[in-house]
Parts: sequence; structure tokens; C-alpha cells
Amino acid sequence: MSGILVLVLRLVLAACLYAFLGWMLLTLWKDLRAQGLGLSVQKAPMLDLAIQRAGGNVSRRIVRQAELLIGRDPACEIALDDDAVSARHARLSYHHGQWWVEDLGSTNGTRLNQLPLPIPAVLTTGDQIECGHTAIIVGIGAPAETSPTTRL
Amino acid sequence: MTHLNLPRRLFPFAAAFLFLFSVILTLSPAVRERAWGADLRWGHWIGFAVWLALYLLASRVTARRLPDLDPFILPSAFLLCGWGLLAIWRLDPYFGARQTVWLVVSAGAFLLALHLPADLTRLRRYKYLTLLGGILLTALTLAFGSNPSGAGPRLWIGGADVYLQPSEPLKLLLVIYLAAYLADRLPVETLQSGPAPRSLRRALSIPLLVPTAALTGLSLLILLVQRDLGTASIFLLLYTIVLFLATGDRRVLLVTAVGLSLAALIGYYFVDIIRLRLDAWLTPWNDPSGRSFQIVQSLLAIANGGTFGRGPGLGSPGLVPVSISDFIYTAIAEETGLLGSIGLLALFGLLVVRGLRAALLAPDRFQRLLAGGLTAYIGVQSLLIIGGNLRLLPLTGVTLPFVSYGGSSLLTAFLALALLLRVDSRENEPAPLADHRPYTLLAALFLLGFGATSLASGWWAVVRGPDLLTRTDNARRSIADRYVRRGSILDRENQPIAITRQIENQYSRDYIYTDASPLTGYTHPVYGQAGMEASLDNYLRGLRGNPSSLIWWNHLLYGSPPPGLDVRLSLDLRLQRAADALLGDRAGAIILLNAQSGEILTMASHPAYDPNLLDESGAALQADPRAPLLNRAAQGSYPPASFPNPLLAAQFGSASIPEDTRKIAFFRQLGFYAAPDLQMPVGAPAKLGQLNNLRVSPLQMALAYAPLSNGGVRPAPRIALAVDTPTQGWVILPASGEPLRVMDEAKANAAAESLGVQNQPFWEYAAKSSEGEKSFTWFAAGTLPDWQGTRLVLVILLEENNAPLIKSIGETLLNKALNP
Repeated sequence: MSGILVLVLRLVLAACLYAFLGWMLLTLWKDLRAQGLGLSVQKAPMLDLAIQRAGGNVSRRIVRQAELLIGRDPACEIALDDDAVSARHARLSYHHGQWWVEDLGSTNGTRLNQLPLPIPAVLTTGDQIECGHTAIIVGIGAPAETSPTTRL
Repeated sequence: MTHLNLPRRLFPFAAAFLFLFSVILTLSPAVRERAWGADLRWGHWIGFAVWLALYLLASRVTARRLPDLDPFILPSAFLLCGWGLLAIWRLDPYFGARQTVWLVVSAGAFLLALHLPADLTRLRRYKYLTLLGGILLTALTLAFGSNPSGAGPRLWIGGADVYLQPSEPLKLLLVIYLAAYLADRLPVETLQSGPAPRSLRRALSIPLLVPTAALTGLSLLILLVQRDLGTASIFLLLYTIVLFLATGDRRVLLVTAVGLSLAALIGYYFVDIIRLRLDAWLTPWNDPSGRSFQIVQSLLAIANGGTFGRGPGLGSPGLVPVSISDFIYTAIAEETGLLGSIGLLALFGLLVVRGLRAALLAPDRFQRLLAGGLTAYIGVQSLLIIGGNLRLLPLTGVTLPFVSYGGSSLLTAFLALALLLRVDSRENEPAPLADHRPYTLLAALFLLGFGATSLASGWWAVVRGPDLLTRTDNARRSIADRYVRRGSILDRENQPIAITRQIENQYSRDYIYTDASPLTGYTHPVYGQAGMEASLDNYLRGLRGNPSSLIWWNHLLYGSPPPGLDVRLSLDLRLQRAADALLGDRAGAIILLNAQSGEILTMASHPAYDPNLLDESGAALQADPRAPLLNRAAQGSYPPASFPNPLLAAQFGSASIPEDTRKIAFFRQLGFYAAPDLQMPVGAPAKLGQLNNLRVSPLQMALAYAPLSNGGVRPAPRIALAVDTPTQGWVILPASGEPLRVMDEAKANAAAESLGVQNQPFWEYAAKSSEGEKSFTWFAAGTLPDWQGTRLVLVILLEENNAPLIKSIGETLLNKALNP
């Protein structure tokens, strides 16, 4: 009789141990998921670019991705038909909570607000980036729509 | 965040686990004795209450004042130390009480260290002072060391029942020193520009490493002089790991691995203690009662645990030496099984992973290396001792952090935990990290280690377990004999020969008829088993003949087999008594067989002994030159000389002497070259083809003479007739051999007639033989072919030359058997 009682108690004992471990693992997993969600929520704010070509005509581009290239190469996101622009001229990218511009070693250089750009720099609304004969006026919009939460 | 509530959620599970553990421990004597009247255990509730109070206090205080603490580390550590505390109480209440005091001290120091206003930079500044202080303290053991247990390495300092093992806190001080030194001196560029091999090589320049190597070497030297090999290897590994974390250079690991192997190799040939340890590790089965006793007993305990464990208080972990400290993992594995040991390993694994996470999140280099080193201390030490318990690694006498008995060890573990938790603050941004790979590699190595120990636990507990438990050096079998009724040994009329008596919930073996002891043998906790007690053990112990579901259920509930089954032998106690009286105190053997069925009616071997007195006389019996433990009838071997001549004459005619090959073939049929096939320990048979050096046992001789009384057919011998099963009642145990015709019926009958005795219904024959200075007398007799009753054959051997005596013994006994 005592044997059966103690057997039941032993099973509950093992259940307690694994409940303890299971709860820990569940929490670890929830933590991981929360971190993953936090990362996917951090979307780049929308870029509103006004591109002023040498001829004077202005076009607008709305950019939603976190990184884009400017260059003469048609594969670039901002492809410029401008002889003074290198094939891969400059890069715009979003990291550390900011939009950055970076010259990719172009022949004629990139200028930001009329100044040369030796190192990457942070962009704000109203900044003017010049590549060759083209000027790009930067507008930074609200963060892109966030609906990544497909709740499990 | 989801995990802020975690300690509060985990608390009920940890408390329920230890509460149930305590309840089961209290009830365990009742289960063991299978009676509620047993003396229940209560002492460990003190330990549980103290643990509960400390856990509540610690979680309350930390939740209020340090809400950002890692929520996993504290509950895991407290569950581990509570588990260990109850395991120690279960093994030895005296040490349990001491450990409870140490837990109060350690938890107090832990909370104090957690709340001291001074921050960790203070430690960094005084690194040389702290380490040198620790080394000095350890060096003091060279001169003033003592050992609380009286013998063994003198690694402790203290007196009046309070001892400190300085090498324990020295580990912490070493980690602090190494972290501080390397954080100060390593070139900063190794931090910034990612994994840059060139700067690393510069980092490992010799001048940089000299101070650390010198101090670590000094500590190692002291430990080696003190022969504390386990702690020495932990020091070396900690040094390696901290250096590896600081530089990210894998050659550090390689150099240590090669160095350790070389040291082991050199030590194997030149240092006794290292050779002993390595031999015990590599070939434990060669010397299971000597140098490998600990590890073999440890594996037996793990095997006894199996999957579900025997339950707290219900195993026998005390059989393993130093189970409270070095072999606490074994004790836990035996009583909570593979389920419990995997849970324990998972707790350690979690602790290590969270510790390394704390290292990665540390706000500066010093704290990062400190957290990494402290985590490595917990991981390395637990893997080293658990691996040693499981024969994955050579055995090193170190403690299992948080779990093992030992004040210094517990205090050190809690201080390490306090430092680790102080590093893990989320106030600051983590410091930049050049290369995350050393940390992830270390985490992977530790998890691999815990995975390997889990697998090894499963191997010993489940795969090898059933085999291991049948080993004769498994003392759990004789412990089970105290609490489970062993089957009785009865004669053919169900008269008791050996029975089991119950005295206050405990059983003991009682031998009613002791003169047949060389045949019936004994079962004894020290001297093991012999005779029929050994050969019928599976039935008497209830492992055969019972339904396997019953055996499984009893093993699960009580860790012991079900009640044993009674076995009926073919012996006839009336004739056995007569034979024993006739033989008296002369050395010799008597066998009376049913020539037709092969049932052994009498088997006497003298001198005999009293198996009830084995406690006092066991050692003397084993050393006695008259060999009373030997069953001369079945295990003795004697030169037959001319004794088989009547058999040869019956087969080949009395005139001609057969050539050797035909003689050998005939002897082979008579069974001289094979061991009789029956459930009884018998001697090794002579090699096929031996004639001049032929030795046979009286049992073989009786079976060879049986054809004369059985129309030329040699019967298959039988001793165990039936077993009393719970489901089917008495079940016959058939003979394991087949009867064999060895000569024509006519030839056998003629030979029997030619040996006939006037006015008696039997034939007889006697012969002398000798070997060196010893002389023997053989005698055979049996019923004549026209006898209408039971056909009998009798063989007697006396270890002296005395034909008249042997003849009178034989005729008296045979007359008694033929005329009841």
C-alpha cells in the first residue's frame, strides 16, 4: 500500500522537476520570440527622395527598403542616366536608428549639402546629396507601416 | 517583459519538488519494510524548512532591490542546493545538519555580497593581493593541513569541527585575478577590428603571459605537492578558458589539451596515484573490489536507479564510498533515476548558458572575462565530477557545485553566483565584442559535455543496467534479502532444509538441516552464495517462475524482486540423515541415486559446516585446509584407478583389455569427460582423452555405475524437482539432460549379477586408488536387475584406505533405502 502511494508521489515529484524546467524553457522561448518581434518591428522609416536631374526635370521616389544604391548601373535602385555618376556611386542605408549616406569610392565624389563626403554621414530631412550633375533632396517620413505580428 | 515574473512562477515548482522529496523520504522506511509501523524519518524536514526560508528570503530581497537580476540563475541554483541538501540528509543526518548550517552561512554571504555597495572594480584593483592571499592560505595547508576525516590528503585548515579547504575559494580568486590582469594588459585593438590574427599573436606574447603563468603555476605546484589532482586540473582548465575567452586564440585550447595528455602520459609511468586513477578508469572490471571499487559501485548505483529511480530514501546509495560529496551525483541518479539525473544536468546546462549570456552582456572587458571565468568554474567542475562518476573521465575528487557536501565548496559556489549576478546588470550597454566565437564555442562545448553525460547516464542506467545488477558485488541483492521473503529449500517430502524467518519486518535465513550444507550451500551478505542457494537463486529470489509483470511491478515499487518461490529437491531427508550419520566426521562423499529417473536421493559430503554460524566462522571456513565448503560429491575430483574395471569388463568382456581409443570412447559415454548437467555447482570435468591423469567426481561415478542397475541406460541427473509458483502451484522442473544407453541390457544385467552379494538384493564393488601420499577408497553398489522396487545405485568415496568401513557404510545405507 505504502509502495503505491509513494510511487504516485514519485511521479508527481518528477512532474514538478520537469514543470520547473519546462517553465524555464517556455520563458526562454517566449523571450526569444519577443526579441524576434522587436527586431522585425524595427522597420526603416520611409525615404522620400526628390531627384533633380541635370536637365532640370524633377522626379520623386518613395523608398521603403532599408538599403539602396545610387549609380549609373541600371541595377541600382536609383539608376541615374548621368555621365558624371559612377556605376556604383553611393549608398543610402538605415542602421543604428538613422539613415546614412556613404560614398562608394566614386570617380567624381559625392557631396552632402555642397560639402565633400569622406566618411558616412547621417541624413536628415532637407539634406541635399549631389552625385555628378544630379541632386537628390532627402525627405524622411514616418516609419513604414508595421504589421509583422502574426500572433502564434 | 515576460520573464520578470519568472522567479515567482518557478518558486512553487521548486518548493513542491523538495516538499514531495521530503514526504517520500519520511515514508521511505515504511515502503522498505512494507509496514506502516516502521520508524519514519523526520530529521530532513529541518533542512527543508531552512532551505524554504532562505529561498523565500533571497527571492524577496532580490526581487525588491535588484529587479534586473537574471531570472533563471537564482531559482536553478537554489533548486540544486536544496536537492543536494536533502540528498545529504538522506545519506547521513549528521552531515545533513552540518550542511544546513553551511547553507545558512553561504546564503547569508551570498545576499551580503549581492548588496555590498562597492562594485566589482574594487576586486579588479586588488587582484594581486587577493590571489596572493589565497595562495598563501593554500600554502599553509602544506604545513598545518589536516583532514577532517582523519586520513587522506591534508587539504583543510581549521579545527574544532570547522574546516576550510582553501583551494576552493582559491579558484574564485584565480578567476578574478586572470580576468583583471588580462582585461588590463591585452592590447585594445584586439577588441575593435574583429578577429585579427596578427594582433592576437601579439596578444599572446610571452612577457604578457609570464605573470599569469607564474601565479597559476604556483597554485598548481601547491596542489600537486598536496596531491589534489582534481583541483589542479580545474585550475589548469580555468586558466585555459579565461585565456581563450580573452584572446580568442584556439591554440590555447590545443596547447592545454596536448599538455594535459602529455602530463597524464608521463604521470602514468612515474606517479603512482595517477597510474592508479588511470588504471581504475580504463580497466575497472579487472579489479572491481580493489582500486576500481568506487567507480564500479558508482555504476551499480546508477544501474539500480534505472529510468524512474528507486525513489528518495529507497535506493542504497550509501554503498558507494564518499557518496555525500564526490559521488552525490550517483546517489541522486540511483534515487531519482535517469529522469532525475537528466533534470539535474539540464539545470547545470541552463546555469552555464545563462552565465555565458551574462558574460556577453557585461558592460566592460573585466566583467565579461570574470563572468566567463565564473561560469567556466561551475561548468568545468560539475562536468569533471559527473564525468568521473559515469566513467566518462578519470575520477577526480572534486565536489559538485551547490549539490555536494562541503562548506568551502558551497560557500565558493554561492560567492561565484553573487559575482556572476552582479555582472549581469542591464543598466549599461554591453561592451563591444571583437569576436563572439570563443563564447559560443565554449557554450557549445559545455552543452556537448552535458549532453554526453546524459547519454552516459542513460547507457549505464538503461542499456547496461540489467546486466550490471546481477553482478555478485552488487550488495543490493543481499539488502533486498532482508526485506523480501526468500523461497524455502524442501526435501522430496516437503520437509524443510532451509527456510526464511521473519523477525519484525526483517527476514533472515535459517538452515534447519545443516549436515548437507556442502550441497545446500548458503546465502550470506558477506560471503555471497554457494551450493543450491546459488544455483537456484533465481527461483528462491523470485526472479524466475513469477510472472514478469509482477517482477516489473515489484522492482518499480520497491526496487526489489517479488517474494521468492519454494523449491523441492529430490533429496530424501530420512536417507540423507542416515548417510550423514554413517559418514560421521570422516572426509568423503556419498551419493545415492534413483538409477532410473536420475533423482539424487542422498548427497553427503564431509566434513560439513553449519551455515547458520557463517557470521562467526566464515573466514575460518574459507581458510580451513580440510575444505569443508567444498561439495566433495559433485565438485571433488579423485583418481578412479581400477574402479571402473567392472564397467569395462561388462562392455568389452573380462578377458580382453581394450585399446585406449575404445576405452576413451566408452568413458566418454559414461560421462567422465563432461560435467553432469543439473542445477548444482559441479567441478570442471577432465579433458577429453585423459586416461592416466583422469579425475572424476563421485557424482560422475554414480551416473556411470547407474546403467548396471538400469538395464544399461545412464539416467540424466536431477536435484531440483519442482517449484511452487503463485499462479500454477507446484511446477515440475524437468531434467536438463537426456538418458543415454551406454551398453546392452544383457551385458549390464550380467555384470550386475556377477557382482551380486549373497543373500542380498544388490551388487557391490570396492576398489582402492591413490595419488601421491593420499589414498582413497571407492565403493559402488546397486539393485539387481530382478529387483521390483525403486532401482537405486550408490557410490561412496572415502579419503582414506578403509575397505571394511566403506563396505559396512554402503551395505547399511542400501539396506535402509531398500527396506524403509
